[in-house]
Amino acid sequence: MPTAELAQTSNTLWNIAFLLYIVAMVGYFFRLAFTKVSVEGVSVSTGAGRRVGLAATVVASAGASVHAVSVVQRGLAMDRVPWANMYEYSSLMALLAVVAGLVVVQRRFGYGHLMGFVLALAVLSMTSALLLFAEPGPVVPALQSYWIKIHTSAAMASSSIFMVGFVATALYLVKDTAERRVAAGSGFGPGTVGAAQAGPGSSADVEERPEGFEADGELDQVMVTGLTAQRDALSPVLFPVVPLLVVASFTLAVWRAPMAALIAGSVAALLGASTWYAVPHLPPAARLDNLAYRVIAFAFPIWTFAVMAGAIWAEEAWGRYWGWDPKEAGSFFTWVLYASYLHARSTHGWRGRRAAWIAVVGFVALMVTYYAVNLWVVGLHSYAGV
Amino acid sequence: MSDSSSPTLRRRQLPEIPGPVQTLGLLWRRLRKMSTALILLFALAAASVIATFIPQQPLIPSTVAQWLSGEAGPGSAVARAFDWLGLFNVFGSWWFTTLVVLLFTSLTGCLIPRWRGFLRLVRKPPPAGRSLDRLSERREFFTAASPDEALALAASTLRGYRHRRVAAADTASGNQQLAAQRGHAREGASLVFHTAFYLLLAGVIIGKVFGFEGQVNLPEGEAFADTRIAYDLAEPGRLFGLDDHRGFVVELEDFDVSYFPNFTPKDFVSRVRVLEGGEVVREGVTRVNHPFVHDGMKLYQLRFGMAPRIIVRAGATVLFDEKVMLSDAGGGVWTGAAKVSLGGRNADGEAGPQIALDLVFLPDAAVTDRGVPFTRSPEPKNPRLIGELYVGQDLGLDQPIAASSFNRAGGQVVGDPAVLAPGSSVDMANGNLTVEFAELKMWSGFQVTHAPGRWILLFAAILLLAGLIPSLHSYRRRVWVEVVAQGTGSRVVCAGVALQRKATFTEEFATLSDRLRAALPPALTLPEAEGPLHADR
Repeated sequence: MPTAELAQTSNTLWNIAFLLYIVAMVGYFFRLAFTKVSVEGVSVSTGAGRRVGLAATVVASAGASVHAVSVVQRGLAMDRVPWANMYEYSSLMALLAVVAGLVVVQRRFGYGHLMGFVLALAVLSMTSALLLFAEPGPVVPALQSYWIKIHTSAAMASSSIFMVGFVATALYLVKDTAERRVAAGSGFGPGTVGAAQAGPGSSADVEERPEGFEADGELDQVMVTGLTAQRDALSPVLFPVVPLLVVASFTLAVWRAPMAALIAGSVAALLGASTWYAVPHLPPAARLDNLAYRVIAFAFPIWTFAVMAGAIWAEEAWGRYWGWDPKEAGSFFTWVLYASYLHARSTHGWRGRRAAWIAVVGFVALMVTYYAVNLWVVGLHSYAGV
Repeated sequence: MSDSSSPTLRRRQLPEIPGPVQTLGLLWRRLRKMSTALILLFALAAASVIATFIPQQPLIPSTVAQWLSGEAGPGSAVARAFDWLGLFNVFGSWWFTTLVVLLFTSLTGCLIPRWRGFLRLVRKPPPAGRSLDRLSERREFFTAASPDEALALAASTLRGYRHRRVAAADTASGNQQLAAQRGHAREGASLVFHTAFYLLLAGVIIGKVFGFEGQVNLPEGEAFADTRIAYDLAEPGRLFGLDDHRGFVVELEDFDVSYFPNFTPKDFVSRVRVLEGGEVVREGVTRVNHPFVHDGMKLYQLRFGMAPRIIVRAGATVLFDEKVMLSDAGGGVWTGAAKVSLGGRNADGEAGPQIALDLVFLPDAAVTDRGVPFTRSPEPKNPRLIGELYVGQDLGLDQPIAASSFNRAGGQVVGDPAVLAPGSSVDMANGNLTVEFAELKMWSGFQVTHAPGRWILLFAAILLLAGLIPSLHSYRRRVWVEVVAQGTGSRVVCAGVALQRKATFTEEFATLSDRLRAALPPALTLPEAEGPLHADR
């Protein structure tokens, strides 16, 4: 039967995409290690880093293409949109995050060396999809509506962009901490946040060098200074341990799968350790802050639209537009937090680190609204479960 | 968002005990602050996270009852504390209402000065540029056009900008100027976004006050009239009176359901018709995602179930003849109860016994090799009804308890359970009662809604989105073009500043000045420069 074959190839391609993402993630992390960033924010990759980075970009794009084909085939096999259960949704969220990362972080902002973190989150999302795997099948009547195309795709798109925003926010907080501690140690004033906001002149000065700028010995000398100091300012124990505990306990609590918790926890620990190692190689905190803001400000209206479309659908399917169903309350919670983030950025005494923490909590809320509410809490959205 | 109280003022006020007017003023100023609005937003977020993880009375009352009795949740003491704090009905609690009121007060305090400032700003023409030489985004070139022509041409290239001519006498440099600005959309759209929340609130209140929500379960072939008492569950708005019901009659002609192999329903449809004054005025179907509309009332397909028609006779007397609505017990099995006799008093004033049947329905009955009955599929291919007869003085049938249950402890099981196929009957209670499974029907559950003010909500939602996007993605810029006659043509100085997102303005300005230069006729010969002259940057 061609339908079964389609579903079969879809699964095979999915596994290939998963592997490609892992390979690309490792490649991007290598590139990060080969990228040096000066205090002024000039980032340069060595020849090797450039070649590894190019390879990682090719592999990541190939992974995304294979993944996209897999998704389309699954949709064709079932003759419906391929985002109607948690497996499909998690998988597509990973794909969209990779695409958003390639387009926004790598192409538009030129921070290709940060893509390792985006891919790591995509890999975690794919892992959760594996845990939630469901055989292709049709959906219950409540989901048989054209609103699934509008509401769910908007929610998915904004979630994946928020994911990229979370990468930038988390890296900003880490880098800012390192910059502050180093500055406090050397008595040279605060991090780069103030500098970049001082005026148009200063931000024009920290223009990014073009991709593939070859480092010469002289520049290398300048940039090595003070680099390891940033790493030394941060605890090498906390960085792997905290993500390990958070991700492992989350996985254990939601799926009660010790093995999966161990694997996911190890990936998170590796990610944390890489972050610690990568601190000197990250762009200045002010740049990361700006990237985070741009990405979140882009995703926020899409999330707003997703919530509104959900309300319209609820009105059509259940006869009320808003009933504070756990999923509705959760997505409202996420919305309020991201709205607070946007407000905090323009409020004296809140911009910078405090605002960034709100965005972090916002992303946690988004993940809880998606995973925990679907799997733990009984509500009208429960059919969307596994 | 303005913080008008200066620190010196506040220090002077603090030692005195402020009077009521002063206190109000202080509170008002405090509420207007952005940091207060942020705290209120956090409180709103906290409220919704509580509602996500603590069961809510309006949604799942049974779980709340379990928490309160200590059967589930953190224990009855904690649950009682939760109840006292209103955590089981967060969105109906007094503190949530207070929070919303405070948020809207804060919003009002924020928006009034912002609207005022914005209207002033919009009415003001673009200001004349002073000391353009000091701006970092600046470009200078020559053109063959006269100053007047150059300014006219420049005006046509400044797309998206509001601009005006500034006479030579009004500029600092004494040259003619074109002053332009753009990006008021940022503040304007932000104001539209925030103001739309009042509309949203109005829509919500109108819907709540003048609307009606009710639920009704109906077996096939039966009807209900749109009156308050007909609904199993009614939530009328405060101003939706008894007279506001339309009084039409809705009859469920038939109900259809099909299943996936995993027992989940694929599709379920109710065929209904509306009668007014005994005449059919509308016929149609209602299914999930496709409500049926009549006279401003919407009929939503909500749930469904099996409704076997059961007739119980004592001799020739019919004690009971109803389509009993059974509820889904999982795994394709349906359960329910037939409340046969309420135990009315006989001629001597003695209370007769209460009689009830505990029912289990298997649509496609089979028995496992261990003798346990189960159903092979959800379709009624081999329907069997299993009835267990309860007789007692206190089955609770006269109590207001759920239709599908009764107090089993208040009576005794009489005889063995009866197993019935459609159309069959059996004698129970030593032949005193005859129980007949007359036919198999289905029941359908509807949500009936009258929802005025929905278009207000939709309009508010559109305004919110229309305001949100430009408020985040549009930026204020000011650009000036100054011209001085030079030989047969003129010298043009173009300069600009960005009030937000300065990082991207360099590129924007380069594009803009390129366009400007292309629009002006090039100078045939380069005139001699007067004063300092920069090459193209």
